[in-house]
Amino acid sequence: MNSAYLAYAAKRLAQALVVSVLAYILTFVVVSILPGDPITNVLRDPQNGFTEDEIKAIIAAQGLDQPIPVQLWTSLSHFVTGDFGLSMRSSRPVATLIAEVLPSTLTLASAAFAIALLLAVTIGYGTQFLPKRLGQGLLRGLPSLFLSVPNFVIGLILIHVFGFQLGLFRVIEPNSFWATLFASIALGIPISARIAEVLIANLDKESEQEYAAVARGRGLTQMRLFARHLLKPSSLPVVTVIALAIGELLGGSLITETVFGRTGIGSLVQRSVSTQDLPVLQAVVSLAALVFVIVNLLADLGYPLLDPRVKLIGDRKYRPTTADDSPATVTAAVTS
Amino acid sequence: MAPQDGLTANIFKRTAPVPLRPLPLLRVDGLSVSYGPHEVVTNVRFDLGRGESLALIGESGSGKSTIARAVLRLLPSSGRATGRVAFDGQEVLDISERGFRPLRGRAIGFVPQDPANSLNPVRTIGAQADEAAALLDEPDRAIRKQLILETFAEVGLDNPQRIYDSYPHHLSGGMLQRVLIGLAILPRPALLVADEPTSALDVTIQKRILDLLTRLQHDLKISLLLITHDLAIAAERANSLVVLKDGVIQEAGRTAAVFSSPASAYTRKLRADVPALNPDRYAALRDVGLRALKTGEAATPKIAVNAVTKTFTVDGKTLTAASDVSFAVPAGTTHALVGESGSGKTTAVRLLLGLEQPDSGTISVAGEEITGRSPEALRSAWRHLQLVYQNPFTSLDPTWTIEQLVREPLDRFGIGTRKERGERVREALADVGLGEHFLARKPAALSGGQRQRVAIARALVLKPDVIVLDEPTSALDVSVQAGIVEVLLSLQANLDLTYVFVSHDLALVRQLAHTVSVMHRGRIVEHGTVADIFDNPQQPYTRSLLASIPSGVTGAAAAPHRQFRAAADA
Repeated sequence: MNSAYLAYAAKRLAQALVVSVLAYILTFVVVSILPGDPITNVLRDPQNGFTEDEIKAIIAAQGLDQPIPVQLWTSLSHFVTGDFGLSMRSSRPVATLIAEVLPSTLTLASAAFAIALLLAVTIGYGTQFLPKRLGQGLLRGLPSLFLSVPNFVIGLILIHVFGFQLGLFRVIEPNSFWATLFASIALGIPISARIAEVLIANLDKESEQEYAAVARGRGLTQMRLFARHLLKPSSLPVVTVIALAIGELLGGSLITETVFGRTGIGSLVQRSVSTQDLPVLQAVVSLAALVFVIVNLLADLGYPLLDPRVKLIGDRKYRPTTADDSPATVTAAVTS
Repeated sequence: MAPQDGLTANIFKRTAPVPLRPLPLLRVDGLSVSYGPHEVVTNVRFDLGRGESLALIGESGSGKSTIARAVLRLLPSSGRATGRVAFDGQEVLDISERGFRPLRGRAIGFVPQDPANSLNPVRTIGAQADEAAALLDEPDRAIRKQLILETFAEVGLDNPQRIYDSYPHHLSGGMLQRVLIGLAILPRPALLVADEPTSALDVTIQKRILDLLTRLQHDLKISLLLITHDLAIAAERANSLVVLKDGVIQEAGRTAAVFSSPASAYTRKLRADVPALNPDRYAALRDVGLRALKTGEAATPKIAVNAVTKTFTVDGKTLTAASDVSFAVPAGTTHALVGESGSGKTTAVRLLLGLEQPDSGTISVAGEEITGRSPEALRSAWRHLQLVYQNPFTSLDPTWTIEQLVREPLDRFGIGTRKERGERVREALADVGLGEHFLARKPAALSGGQRQRVAIARALVLKPDVIVLDEPTSALDVSVQAGIVEVLLSLQANLDLTYVFVSHDLALVRQLAHTVSVMHRGRIVEHGTVADIFDNPQQPYTRSLLASIPSGVTGAAAAPHRQFRAAADA
């Protein structure tokens, strides 16, 4: 861990902070310029029976008559301290609502992620070493197959086969171990496909490299060749894909939770959308953006640790000699 | 790997009489290799005795590397080898991978061609060295590490601990090749297969690496199977030679016999193509430039580089890439910049092309000042000043046709009508010896030599005065190189071109240059005419460069291993 890396990490962290704040502002602005004002709609609901003056008093008390930038500042400063406001429907703190469903979604997402990784690496290993006659081609076709089947279909099939036919889990107990496992499989399969696609392409590339042949010539077993030589360089581009797949994990969990009847962030979002519960939506969207930023930050921070060749400083004055010099740029510069 | 071959092999083993002479360590008999329907190696046979060395020679495509891969059982999955390969009496071609693995590394070591791509880039050298050390069945990690460090010292690496902790990209090509040789000899194999171990390296490094291989071979009694395209190297380093063309043996025998009196026309051609053995091959063509040199001395030089200095700052350290560099090139002659990697040749080229600005000093080409120009003003200078890059495999856009590639400079400078450009392109291609049928092809359909001809045509098409040749043949075989050299010299004789020729290959410089500057650590240590430098070098550095040219004599031919039988069955 040298100073160049720390400087790089600090820079990336600062960038991540800026992006998170911008994401929050963007959601806030979009929500406030949307036509229709759910807050006054609620207040004006005849069932609530507020008078015009009471409505004005409530709006003033909540600071909703302030200019948008002031409202934004109030909201953002509250958000940073973990105060996401009150749900408009249940009048309970949004933070509490989210905290109630978060563990279930986190369990599902992390299990799905682990399954996706395991599947992808297994498929990757198979494509390199499984003999052609034993279905290597089939393995190579798996990612496209996984991607082309929507994950709710996978979910329904799993429920039908393992829930109803084999009776491994009871559909009415969505949080039991087996139900969680199969929900994770349903969610993990499409994500494993994305990872596997990139992994296979890179394994193919790396195993053709001279160093793979040299290492084989050194008498390494298949398993060691794969684990020590091929997997690490091939997983570098996969890190980027994984960071992007987290987004899919968030989106996919919504569908999977619905299919398996689990309560989670997905079901919370679904309810909030149908009831226009803006504080909840604002909080969930901002948190999702935050998760995305953090995962990408981790990927960026991990990359130089995985690949020692990554140069951390942008523009150097020194130009490497011939070997590293891109010939295309040199010739292009001269002929253009 | 057809089953009946295995059967034959077994019958052979049972019925073969006890050999009177010791069994060769490696016996290759009737070996054929094919990729799909294409047979690239046909019925090759040779023997390599213990402690002996044998060189497989040929151009690229001759199948020499394929034979090495077949012996190592590292053929790509589409490759199929048939015939017999017996290592130490044991048939290895049709045993299972599991059965062969104990031989890998332990008994048969492999030194690959391109050291830069032969170590895993994301793992430390130490981690990879430990894999080789593990073959010694030494359970103690500390002892294994000690063995690795000792081996690194043995192959001439200073500061083994630093090497152990380094990643491959921290080391130079020469150092990496020493590491790879170290890893190959660490488990003390009986056979070392070296596939063009020096073709990616500088001439001086090449000599040191080959010396190292020869020394280790003698010290450790290792048999060496050397693959090379350079007859001079093969003759210096091997006891016997096998000359291949298109996968078929042309000639085989003891080195002295094959080298001094080649029986086949092909071997004679290979011999003629080695620059070191034929310094005056192009004397007639080169004389045109020599006359220009004599008459041009009084006139203004085409290129004048005056006291140019360039420094770079890397990690706070100042690196002087060019220090007080001066040279002048009269019109119609070739000036060679000679030196090892890191000597400042490439910086000199970049300065000359205006891609870098010097800290001090001036450069002028065809009377026009290059230094201190805006990018727009440089563009006009580039009409007279073109570059041919060293690697034709990466310098041509693979998605373009040859016509587009050669025409691009004309398009960019807006020269002539569409029809005139087309004619000019055909003319330039004809100049480099390529017919019109190449116009519609793409680089992938061309050989390395043809690609480099396209690159030259691309430089020629603007009718420049000066062409900078940055190691134009270093990625090519000796025979292909000879063709390119001939094209360059006849172009110069016909079109009165001025060349700046950057190279580490002194033998080549002697064949085609008129004046030479020897660069070392950013300085010109010696300069003069080719005759001055080659016949009467003044500086020790120049002398060491000259000594590294492979000459085809000494080395293994005189090595103390003659008691073993002749390896090749000619």
